[in-house]
Amino acid sequence: MEIENKSGVKTPEVKILKDGPIILKGFFRFRTSSGEETEKEHEILLCGCGKSGNKPYCDETHKKNVIKS
Amino acid sequence: MYQGNKKYTNGEITVFWYPKKCIHATHCYRELIEVFNPGRRPWINMNGAPTKEIIRVVKLCPTQALDYKYNNEDANIQKSGDQSVAEKMVAEARIMKNGPLVLKGDFTIIDADGKEIKHHKTSLLCRCGASKNPPFCDGTHSKTGYLGN
Ligand code: FES
Ligand code: FES
Repeated sequence: MEIENKSGVKTPEVKILKDGPIILKGFFRFRTSSGEETEKEHEILLCGCGKSGNKPYCDETHKKNVIKS
Repeated sequence: MYQGNKKYTNGEITVFWYPKKCIHATHCYRELIEVFNPGRRPWINMNGAPTKEIIRVVKLCPTQALDYKYNNEDANIQKSGDQSVAEKMVAEARIMKNGPLVLKGDFTIIDADGKEIKHHKTSLLCRCGASKNPPFCDGTHSKTGYLGN
């Protein structure tokens, strides 16, 4: 489903994967903790597990932490 | 609601003050000391300026620590119409160092199954993985000493 707002821009989507990344998709302004800003069409995988070695981005570390029983 | 919250009215509009949200950006009193004077009690004097001027300055508040409502319902409907245009501004995702991801504006948040998750206009999403209320941040990151750019 695509929702359009008045300016014709699609509402950006945030997808949360369980014990995994937060995926941000769409047109929005992204601001890092060092203050860099980009305003454009993005597709970003942010670490949501807390363990990435390349924060704020997901570096797949979350997969290694799955405890198999 | 937090007890420190206050409201002030001039009969036409009511201005709300949420001290917890105030980051002391000082826009209000630099713009309109006749109304917003932190050195005075009560610090907001609703008779200090015309309603239009008060609304203009309330809108400058960057954290919504100040908000307003018309006392008359019809006027509020008009207000929300005006606001929805302003709020169609670009959504923002901001990384808080050693803390959550802050989302502002229009976002659709969905879970792994594609189900939409209800959220506030400003949402804090947990990045540390330790929140007891995922996907939202519940402040646990500061107890666990989460470090992350
Ligand atoms: S979510 Fe992938 S590394 Fe943290
Ligand atoms: S980032 Fe705040 S609880 Fe995880």
